[in-house]
Amino acid sequence: MPVDYQQIHHKIKEIGAGARQRRQTLDGRRKKARELLNQYAADLDSLRLKVDAAKLADPNLRCALPVNEPLDSHHPAPESVAEATLIAADGSQVNPDRHAAVLYSLINIGAIVWRTGLGSSPQVFTYVDLAYGDELYTDTGMISEDLVALGRDLSERKKILELALRYPEPVITLTDGPIELWGAEGSSQEAYRRNREIHLSILSQLQSRNVTVAGYVDKPAADLVVRLLEISRIPDNEMKDVRRTHGLRNVTDRWLFGEEGNPLLQKGERSAIFVIQSSSRNHYEGDREIRFFYLNVGNNKHPWIARVEIPAWVAENRLYVNTLHSSLLQQCAILELKPYPYVLARAHEIAVVKFDDKKQVELLLQLELGNNGEEIGVASPKQTIKGLQGRTRM
Amino acid sequence: MTQIEIGRLLRAGTTGFIAGCRVDQLEAPAFGALVRAPLSESYQVYGLIHDIHIDDDGLVRQLVTADNVAEEVMKDNRERRIVPVELSVLVVGYEQDGKIHHQLPPRPPLSLDVIYLCDAAQLVRFTSAGRFGYFRHILQNQDIPAGELLAAHIQQAAAAHGAQGLKWTEAAAAELITLMRDDYPKLMSVLSALGDLSPE
Repeated sequence: MPVDYQQIHHKIKEIGAGARQRRQTLDGRRKKARELLNQYAADLDSLRLKVDAAKLADPNLRCALPVNEPLDSHHPAPESVAEATLIAADGSQVNPDRHAAVLYSLINIGAIVWRTGLGSSPQVFTYVDLAYGDELYTDTGMISEDLVALGRDLSERKKILELALRYPEPVITLTDGPIELWGAEGSSQEAYRRNREIHLSILSQLQSRNVTVAGYVDKPAADLVVRLLEISRIPDNEMKDVRRTHGLRNVTDRWLFGEEGNPLLQKGERSAIFVIQSSSRNHYEGDREIRFFYLNVGNNKHPWIARVEIPAWVAENRLYVNTLHSSLLQQCAILELKPYPYVLARAHEIAVVKFDDKKQVELLLQLELGNNGEEIGVASPKQTIKGLQGRTRM
Repeated sequence: MTQIEIGRLLRAGTTGFIAGCRVDQLEAPAFGALVRAPLSESYQVYGLIHDIHIDDDGLVRQLVTADNVAEEVMKDNRERRIVPVELSVLVVGYEQDGKIHHQLPPRPPLSLDVIYLCDAAQLVRFTSAGRFGYFRHILQNQDIPAGELLAAHIQQAAAAHGAQGLKWTEAAAAELITLMRDDYPKLMSVLSALGDLSPE
């Protein structure tokens, strides 16, 4: 059955009727956010004290923490990089599906190496890991989707390290999304801890080779600077309620730095560099502390703000930051209508496991198991029925 | 004998097949070229390339709108990406146990079979067998540019025949006139295409 449109019609009308009110509220909050940004632009010490106080009330606090540049800093595009090696990696996975005929998981990593200035064809690399049977189980049961995703993220980083060691400086590595590994809940905590240690070791090895490591977050949803501004308004005696205090809700960092027609970051400019205040600072510390800046990869009329995450050792080296800044702009200019680093788009294209690939792997596994006399399961009726093609015409 | 591999079979039927090739293989095959798909040591299917098709994709559509396409991007797209170049081939005969037939083959080639470009000797051998029986496959197919295909094929075959090229071309033209004597407009179209051939 399709959605009962009559049932939701009333609700949709209600949503439409509230648009004007919501717009007014949002405009007011945006105005306030802009005022706060200007007010605290250079008052970094007081902001840091506020964040320290908020951290005591909420150990999981996630916001931007200023380092040493004014909040409203904007740095123009540096000169183009003559020669650099860009390495991008991305991954995709097939999760174990108990409804499928064969139970397996698969991680596929795609990587591309682009050497700026040589005019040569980029090189592409893949890595695939198929898990079956006992490999699908942990001490507490079947491997979860979170753990497969964690394995995928770590495999990306391992591939990055392997490739980064092969090329001369300067080397820039890019992954899609945040730098840090995201932890899984419950029974996966131990696996997360183990993988995080490996990731930290990878970061250290990359640092020792003077590699510029970066994570590129397209259309960032975490409004870290707006959250900082929200915290700046909270009186100390109300800081205990910081988790529930969101005076600038729906104001985004993307708007703050990339207001359409009037962006704080002009075309190609980057923002100040901030620390990401989060609970993971306890693990990603020192030279491996995660920092970020915003970058307008669009133009002045249609800004497009990306968040670029970098470890502290990169953030504190102006040459690394400039090389990264310039390289990202060059990469985004290739796909200028949809600005996104070309190498990341290609890494994704190489890595992605499409539905047909999944079916093919499943079929090959079934054939091999059948040929070797192993019992083969069948797809569940639920999966079979869901897979039936529906009518495409009335 | 040098074997020029031009791609592998994507899909096939008795009357034609589609081969996929990499962009760096694209210099070898040409419109009108005779190709062969060996299925075994004693059996291979022959065909003429009547269309070379390059599909676009989402990334290419983004790139064509850019002001400048960097050299690295060009090379990446041509050498590294899976650019879907498809060669459409009209089946014109087969060879079994060393004998060439200008009839449709008993069975088509299979997925991923390698497709080779025929060299001059093979082209001469195929075009000299029988009396141009394979022309009817070209003329009967309404979905291909028959006149242009024949012109391209005859030009390539005449060159392969060397000193005998003119004699072979005259015989081929005579056969075409006979085959199309009841279809004057089409005959004129084919002869017009042949007339445009530049002398070698």
